[in-house]
Order: sequence, then C-alpha cells, then structure tokens
Amino acid sequence: MKWLLRLCCLNFFLCLNLYAQEVVFLSTFLGHVHQSPSRLSPSLTTIQCGHPVKVIKDPNVLVSEDWERVQVADWKGFVWKKHLSPSKPDCLQGRFPKFVDALNLDLTELYYWGRLNDHWEEGRAEP
Amino acid sequence: MIILLLLLSFPLFAQAPKLEQEKELDVVDFKNVKDVLKKDGLLEEAKKKQTEVKKIQELRVKSNRELYNWPGEDEFWFFASEYWLVKEVSVLKWDIDKPDYGLDKSLAQLLKQVGLARKKFRIMGMNSNHPAHLGMAWMSDEYCLLFSIPFVRSMDLSKLEISLLLLQDMLRVDEGWLKESIRPENLKNLIGTNFEGKKPDLSPVFQVAKNYRSFINEKGFSFQQQFEITKKMNLLLKSQPDLWNAYVRLLGKMDRLVKSQNAFADYVKIYPSPEMQIRWLAPEEKAL
Repeated sequence: MKWLLRLCCLNFFLCLNLYAQEVVFLSTFLGHVHQSPSRLSPSLTTIQCGHPVKVIKDPNVLVSEDWERVQVADWKGFVWKKHLSPSKPDCLQGRFPKFVDALNLDLTELYYWGRLNDHWEEGRAEP
Repeated sequence: MIILLLLLSFPLFAQAPKLEQEKELDVVDFKNVKDVLKKDGLLEEAKKKQTEVKKIQELRVKSNRELYNWPGEDEFWFFASEYWLVKEVSVLKWDIDKPDYGLDKSLAQLLKQVGLARKKFRIMGMNSNHPAHLGMAWMSDEYCLLFSIPFVRSMDLSKLEISLLLLQDMLRVDEGWLKESIRPENLKNLIGTNFEGKKPDLSPVFQVAKNYRSFINEKGFSFQQQFEITKKMNLLLKSQPDLWNAYVRLLGKMDRLVKSQNAFADYVKIYPSPEMQIRWLAPEEKAL
C-alpha cells in the first residue's frame, strides 16, 4: 500500500513539473499565435503587445529553441521567442491608447500588422 | 467674615471632580475634541492624508490626460511607415515565403568592418520590383530597410552586395532626405500634443502613406543627393579595396539591369543613376 501511495505522489509531482505554466508577454506591437513553429504557418489568433501568454512545457511536443509553445485563451500554438518578454513590456498601445484606437484598424489590417513582425529580420552591429 | 469665607471656598467648589455627564459633555464639545486630536497628532495625520488624496487625484487626472497623447516624432514614424506597409501589402507583396538570406548577419558584419558598430536595423524582402530597395522613415535609434527579392535575384547579388545596397540606404536615412520629403506639413503642430476632449487629427498618418507612393513613383532622390551618397560610400569603403571593388561591381550590375530589363526601368526614377555613380567613383584624370 505504501509503495502505491509513493508512486501516486511521485507521478503527481512529475506531472506538476512537466506541465508547469509560466506567463510571458508579447513584446511586438501586434503578433500572431501560429499553428506550428514556423513564421509562415497559419495564424490561430492575433494578439497585441502586452498580452499575457501561458508557456506550455510539454515533453511530448518537440519545439525548436527559437519558438515557444503557448496557450492564449483556448488556442494552443507557437510564438517566436524573440517576440516574448518575461515582464510586461512598454507598449505603444499602452502609451498612446486613444491614438491607436482612433486608427480604427480593421481585422485584415490587424492581421497584416501582426504578419509584419513575422517578416522583419532584426540585427545589430556589435563592436 | 462669612462672605470672605464663602469667597475663599468658591474656587475649591470649582475644582471639584467632574460629573460623568460633564465629562461626556466635554467629549461632545468640539473645542475639546480638537484639543484631543491635536494632542494625538491626528490633525496632522488627517492633513497628510488630504495631501496624499490630492496628489493621487492629480496623478489620476494627469494619467487620464496622457491617454490622449499624440505620439512623439519617433513613434509617429513607426506608426506611419508600418501603416503604409500594411496598406500596401498587395502592392509591395511582402507577405510571402522567402529564403533566409542571412542578411542580419552579413549587414552586421559589413557595418562592423566599416566602423559603424552599434547600429540597430530591421530588414524585409518584398516580392515587388518597385521600390528596388528603400531605407524607410523610421525611429531614430534603428534603421528600417526594404529590398526587392526579384531585383537582387535578377542580378544574382551576393550577401555582401545586398548588404552594400542596404548600407547606401542607411546613409540616405542618416541624411534624412526621405523623411523631409514625405513629412506632412501639419505634423510639427501635432507631435507630442494632447487631444483630450476632441478627435485626434490622424491626417498625417494617411498623408505619409500617400507621400511614400508619390516619392517612389515620381519624386525620388535628386542627382545631387545621389552624388553625395556615392562620395560617402567612396570615403567609407576606399580603405578596404575588396569592399570598394564589390561596391563598384554592384553599381555595374545595377546599371546593366536597369538598361536591359523594362521591369526595373523605374529604378532610375528613385535612384538616378547607377551609370553616373560609377563615373563619380572613377579616379579623376590628371591633365598632363
């Protein structure tokens, strides 16, 4: 009986550890949760800067190191790690919310604005 | 004598211990309450609280007002340029599957080689022929660069040659020519202002989109501007013959392309002209 109890406890803690969820935030103006870990894969949903996303650590799903498996509302997908920040970022939407609202972007424009961030190659010349 | 005794005993009566009712009356007497409050320092505490509340209210009003801020210069160019890209997605055709050219690394390497370290940039390839390449009006701490994939493919450009093309655009951005050319007239009156209680004037955002179009299709850069950029590239590269030769080779390829293929004939409308640039780079002939 004792060993059964120990096994249950061990399983429980293992599961807790494996499926632990960490919350991170989108750092680009707009971005996409992708169906698969590729910048060109279809978008499940568009999210805006500062949106919290849960990171899913699932050992059964192998993800390249550039991507994070995440959950946003009911969507489970992938976001480019470069676009995620561990703390709430300083977003343009947060600084100029009424200006951004007034742009009155429709769904297509929001979609493409998010796609822009999938296409930029960013770099910096280090000394 | 009796009167004198009565007069002397009066103060004794006055100092007799107070009745319960009298004590209660003292508490109700606001003058005494004030004294008690003063003794306990509660009045000061109340004043402090009042000041705190006032400060919080002022901060709340201020932060509420800040919601209606019009962006600053840097943020405006981000909004306006990205808005143009979003609006022109079907013309510029940037939302396509494209090869990874690895330009982030090769441009960073080139910048380091020519001594322009610590420069931040973002690059995007498009599937349209026009504009062949462009350094966009952007935030001051970063460069935003576009290039046409058919343009670089047609000339079979190497990573270094594409990077040199982009370096030229970075120098143009430093001069601020494009920004000044497409800057809406009413922008300076709106930058950093507040529009609380009224509708924001978004006309500069839409105007920039129009101005980008007219710059690319009609205006372009002048010969003088092209001359200055060519001379700057010459100065930057002449100490490194391999880079200088690659730049001349690039100009030669562009010259041949714009003369031979109609699809890129509009190139000289924006960048006049590769042929002249090669001439400006040629060493001056000394009269004997």
